[in-house]
Amino acid sequence: MPITTTRRRLLAGSAAALALPAFARAQGAPKPRLTAISQWSAGSDGAAITALGKKFEEKGGTWQHSPVPGFTTEMMNKLRAQIIAGDPPACSQLKGPEIAAWSKIAPTVDLDAVVAAAGYEKVVAPDLAKLHKPGGKWIALPLQIYSTNMLFLSKRAMDKAKADKIPVTWAEFNDLAEKMKAGGVTYPIANGGTRADDGQKFEASLAGISPTAYRAAIMNLDKKALEGPEIKAAFVQMRKITEWMDPNVGAQPYATNLKRFVDGDMGMMIMGGWAQGVLRNAGFKLDDFVIAPGPSDNTKPVFLLNADAFIFWQRKEADLQAGQALMAQLVMDPAIQTMYSQITGSIPVRTDVDLSGEGWSDGQRRTAAALKDAVASNQAVLSLAHNMAQENGLTAAMIDVFTEYAKNKTIKPEQAVTRLAEAVEGSR
Amino acid sequence: MSNAVSTATRPATSDMVRRLPEYLMIWVPLLLSAAHLISFSIWTIWISFTPSTLIPVSGWVGLRNYTSVLASRNWQIAFDNLLLFGSAFVLLSLITGLLLAILLDQRIRGENVLRSIFLYPLAVSFVVTGTVWSWLLNPGIGIEKLAHDLGWASFHFDWLVNRDMAIWTIVIAAIWQSSGFAMALFLAGLRSVDADIIKAAQIDGAGPIRTYWRVILPTLWPITITVVVIQLQFAISAFDLVRALTNGGPGIATQLPALVVYDLMFQRSQLGRGAAAAVLMLLILLAVLLPYAAWRYVQRRQATHA
Repeated sequence: MPITTTRRRLLAGSAAALALPAFARAQGAPKPRLTAISQWSAGSDGAAITALGKKFEEKGGTWQHSPVPGFTTEMMNKLRAQIIAGDPPACSQLKGPEIAAWSKIAPTVDLDAVVAAAGYEKVVAPDLAKLHKPGGKWIALPLQIYSTNMLFLSKRAMDKAKADKIPVTWAEFNDLAEKMKAGGVTYPIANGGTRADDGQKFEASLAGISPTAYRAAIMNLDKKALEGPEIKAAFVQMRKITEWMDPNVGAQPYATNLKRFVDGDMGMMIMGGWAQGVLRNAGFKLDDFVIAPGPSDNTKPVFLLNADAFIFWQRKEADLQAGQALMAQLVMDPAIQTMYSQITGSIPVRTDVDLSGEGWSDGQRRTAAALKDAVASNQAVLSLAHNMAQENGLTAAMIDVFTEYAKNKTIKPEQAVTRLAEAVEGSR
Repeated sequence: MSNAVSTATRPATSDMVRRLPEYLMIWVPLLLSAAHLISFSIWTIWISFTPSTLIPVSGWVGLRNYTSVLASRNWQIAFDNLLLFGSAFVLLSLITGLLLAILLDQRIRGENVLRSIFLYPLAVSFVVTGTVWSWLLNPGIGIEKLAHDLGWASFHFDWLVNRDMAIWTIVIAAIWQSSGFAMALFLAGLRSVDADIIKAAQIDGAGPIRTYWRVILPTLWPITITVVVIQLQFAISAFDLVRALTNGGPGIATQLPALVVYDLMFQRSQLGRGAAAAVLMLLILLAVLLPYAAWRYVQRRQATHA
């Protein structure tokens, strides 16, 4: 009997000890606090969001970021679980049409007032703004922009090919690949073989051949455009790209090949601007490679838009609400966007940020210029491979076709066109 | 008088109390897991008839989720792969396991060590098996490269990245993992064969091969069925091994039903269709398990009658 009493006392005592700090915190002033989830855990992405968290803490906030490493969908699984449990994070990473889809399953924060106060709407590309205000109200804020079809050229491979001109059209690109092969570059293309990577090879091909066809077929799912000649031409170009690749790449991520790319064993890579951050983070120098807009047959740059964003979920707690307001201000701040993009290799969402300064690379300046030109000539389109053009289900069905086509050389381009149209039809 | 009553009841109650931990140990987990299994199965079946996408919602769409899963290329490839993988894996692991068991049964030295070695892969997680084999089988860094470095330049072994052969890499890894398990069961079976029957066969002049083929192996068939059923249910629910080894690739060449379920539910946010695919998997499993249960039932009845 005495033993049980002691045990019970001990238990009660420790429970009180555990509860005490929480109680004390609730009693204090509403210090801004932010619970956030994202997939950014390591490398340049991890470094950037950690830096953002530091800024948040400098402003007197409590930063509680829980990264979920892996693909975006892994992060979404955690988000889904938290929403179902009725405990969404104050703020989470989410982007593209998923913002609209997810905003239907849980209440979000109306950011219109904060956005208006900052005069933010004027400095964001209209297509991009639309994605972040699905019901006409701002509920999410874009953080940084990438183009998924930047062309990375290895300086050493260019030397081997005795070439110094950056290819502008697909024909020039194909020529350079042949020259590299002849000059002793084992594999002219350094891409990886993940699903997203295979999707990027297709979207870069199609958008480079005809941005108009891309908009109609991929973004608007126009049936006639989906079976059009441009789609077939894109599959033909994509086959060429895969044939210049290391056949052993399997399903490896592109980053596996970065060393061989810099060494000139591989020549070119069609990848998002984030590869610059990864290359730099891996210790390679900016003069090991050149970054230019991806091939475009009408010679004007085509911009395959990919933008990371934060969506804000409704919370009752005063400290979380204060945290959301602070976070929104930070994300829109040009200084913060500069800091963030300089770490990750992206370009700022704000069109009024000056990129001539020291911390920016030529690649980033070219990307920003490309975006400006592409918007002016209506050649800025939304990336399919990175979930900006369609919701996950449709995207995955289409990427199935691309990834199978990339790995199975017996599928003819005509067959791939039919399969793509069928895949779209089947998951509508 | 009262004394007599109390002595009569006390043993019964104290017996109950004494055995209480046993009952708790057996029944509580059993009921809990049964409740879990059944409630979640019913829930999944319900979801498969709803229009759920991002999160579960109520509603009724009839068989629409099923028809769209059955019509999808992913599922068709997965089902064909399951037939191929399931039969090849079960057959080959049976043969390997039986051969190992027979060889070990020859009263050799170091049997315990060898048995542990063959059983060891079973203790390794499928993710580890898949990852290790994905390195070994990768032509750029694994076996092919080793052969090339040793001077055998024409050696070619690219199954992992060859979409027609990739499914066989999963068969190889799965056999490596679980033929030790088949071996252990068969070895137990071989050891339980009545020594007198074997002696009788030898006296009758049967050689070792004939003895095995005619006398010993026929007594093993109940064990064989057990092994087949256990391996089949593994094959049908295989997930982690494939995810680590090929992740369904190259392209979607090595899709298996469990991968399709995961993909639909958690990558594509189509909960309803994912649930439908999961129910289809359950049906495939039942197609294996129900005949087995029926066979066990008939066996037991025959045993009690005898």
